[in-house]
Amino acid sequence: MSKVAITVEGLTKKYGKTTVVKGVDFTVERGEVFGILGPNGAGKTTTLEMIEALRPIDGGEVVLEGINVAKHPNKVKEIIGVQLQSSGFYDNLTLRELLIMFAGLYNQSAHPDELLAEVNLEEKAKAQVKELSGGQKQRFSVASALVNKPKVLFLDEPTTGLDPQARRNLWELVQSIKKKGITVVMTTHYMEEAELLCDRIAIMDEGEIIALDTPDKLIKNLLKKGFKKTKEVKQADLEDVFIDLTGKDLRE
Amino acid sequence: MKDMKQVLSMATAFTKRYFRDKVALFFTFLFPLIFLLIFGTIFSGGDGPNFDVALINNSQSEFSSNFVENLGGSDVFTIDEDAADRESAEEKLGRGELDAILVMPESFGEVSEAGTPSGELEVFYDQGDEQLSATLQAVLDSVFSSINSELVGQQPEPFTVNAQPIQTSDLSRLDYTVSGLIGFSILSLGIFSMSEGFTGDKKAGALRRMRVSPIKTWQLIVATGINRVFVGIIAVALQIAVALLFFDFTIRGDIISLSLFTILSTTCLFGFGMAIAGWARDANQAAPLSNLVSFPMMFLSGVFFPVFLMPEWLQAITRFIPLTPVVDGLRFIMAEGQTIFDLGPQLAVIGAWTVIIYFIAFKVFRWE
Repeated sequence: MSKVAITVEGLTKKYGKTTVVKGVDFTVERGEVFGILGPNGAGKTTTLEMIEALRPIDGGEVVLEGINVAKHPNKVKEIIGVQLQSSGFYDNLTLRELLIMFAGLYNQSAHPDELLAEVNLEEKAKAQVKELSGGQKQRFSVASALVNKPKVLFLDEPTTGLDPQARRNLWELVQSIKKKGITVVMTTHYMEEAELLCDRIAIMDEGEIIALDTPDKLIKNLLKKGFKKTKEVKQADLEDVFIDLTGKDLRE
Repeated sequence: MKDMKQVLSMATAFTKRYFRDKVALFFTFLFPLIFLLIFGTIFSGGDGPNFDVALINNSQSEFSSNFVENLGGSDVFTIDEDAADRESAEEKLGRGELDAILVMPESFGEVSEAGTPSGELEVFYDQGDEQLSATLQAVLDSVFSSINSELVGQQPEPFTVNAQPIQTSDLSRLDYTVSGLIGFSILSLGIFSMSEGFTGDKKAGALRRMRVSPIKTWQLIVATGINRVFVGIIAVALQIAVALLFFDFTIRGDIISLSLFTILSTTCLFGFGMAIAGWARDANQAAPLSNLVSFPMMFLSGVFFPVFLMPEWLQAITRFIPLTPVVDGLRFIMAEGQTIFDLGPQLAVIGAWTVIIYFIAFKVFRWE
């Protein structure tokens, strides 16, 4: 078997006359954490949602683990896990009950407590989503995306809006998921997060990929062009101060 | 099989959360019961007719005082003691507080030479109320014919009428009320619970999350439908239980027919709620459309006004409104003892609507 998890070729999305994703090409290798960066409106989420079989593909082709997404959307959905940027959960159900239901959607036996332990929420099994903090909610969202033991996990801005402690906690979670051999495709606005987590990064702007490489190479390429930071680089920044003062422990 | 397992896991979760939703519980279970208790109390005046009358006795005979006592003791007549004279009685009749004035003239009950009392009772009623007067006259006729036959009891009567009731369709107002209210509760469960609840789930992004998984639109529709039909059966059973407990209400039909018919009715009416809430992006779109669909149904299907009071052209239309066969069918089973096999016309209309509305619901469904 090849080591490619996802092949994207000429992927295009049009809304009326405007083309929001303009023939994007890239491949994601098995077991890597692949980051898609870019300013708001660059087409990151649309690209992800086409790969996830949530949005019709207007042009091009996506093959995920050997399955053509446009032709077999439900087969793709069986083997991927998705954490959406703007989704919610049914109210009046506990975390455990939600996970049992989600497992049922994949015709899989549920192991809600194991999953909750994996994301450090075992004590919240009987709580409802509305009782969770922002970070807990994101972790639960990841847990629910793992319910079908996916081959590829998609995370769309998983740390947006989280405090520094909760963000670090989610980084650890992503790293532990990677260790299990699950391919991760994620978007983020935080560069240090991308640098730390991603094996390779695609930078998107106005519907196109304008750079694609490992974080190190991207930085080296920039330096080769003679780039210099305008400010002297300090040995620590304000976030280091914040973490030093308040500790890494989660506040929730 | 695999598809149905997915549906069941959703239906189970939906039902769990339905029973934890206090607002939904109130409107599904308690609200119809309050309705039932209010209207049931208003309309449960016993099965037979009841007349409020003034009785003016101008006779001194023994027979007449006996007659007054017996009439007052019967269930059929309620004698208004305040309207003792002609003037005040007529005033009350004019205001609609009385149905009729019965006057016994001076000679009423005087014993004739033959040894039996005789007389003529005068009955005054409002000119406009012909239906009532006909019923009243029939009742009084039967009262007097039984008195007459007792008085001349010994001799065989030369001519008698042997009146036998056939398949009594003596539907009381309570029968109409209960089947109407149950139909109404199914309608509000099917349509209003959806326009609020389902669009709320859309707004919360819960449906977006569901869509990530390999389920199809029809599976979500069926799972939600199973949940609502299940809830509907319980709601209907509860209303019938209250009607049986608190009012003089009996079910003449069989429970299996009633349950089956309830399931089919809820399935049909839920389709309307599903089509609306499935199409609507939010509650602001769903609420007015729900009203637009359900208000004509409520007023034209005989839930609140008897259909026979409507002009004929309207009655013709009324038969094809989906709530009409639901209310009729419920009444035919509960009050007239019919089975599900007797309800061909009703089931045909319900079935046709079910096919049409689920087709639309599937076509217009939007996940967000």
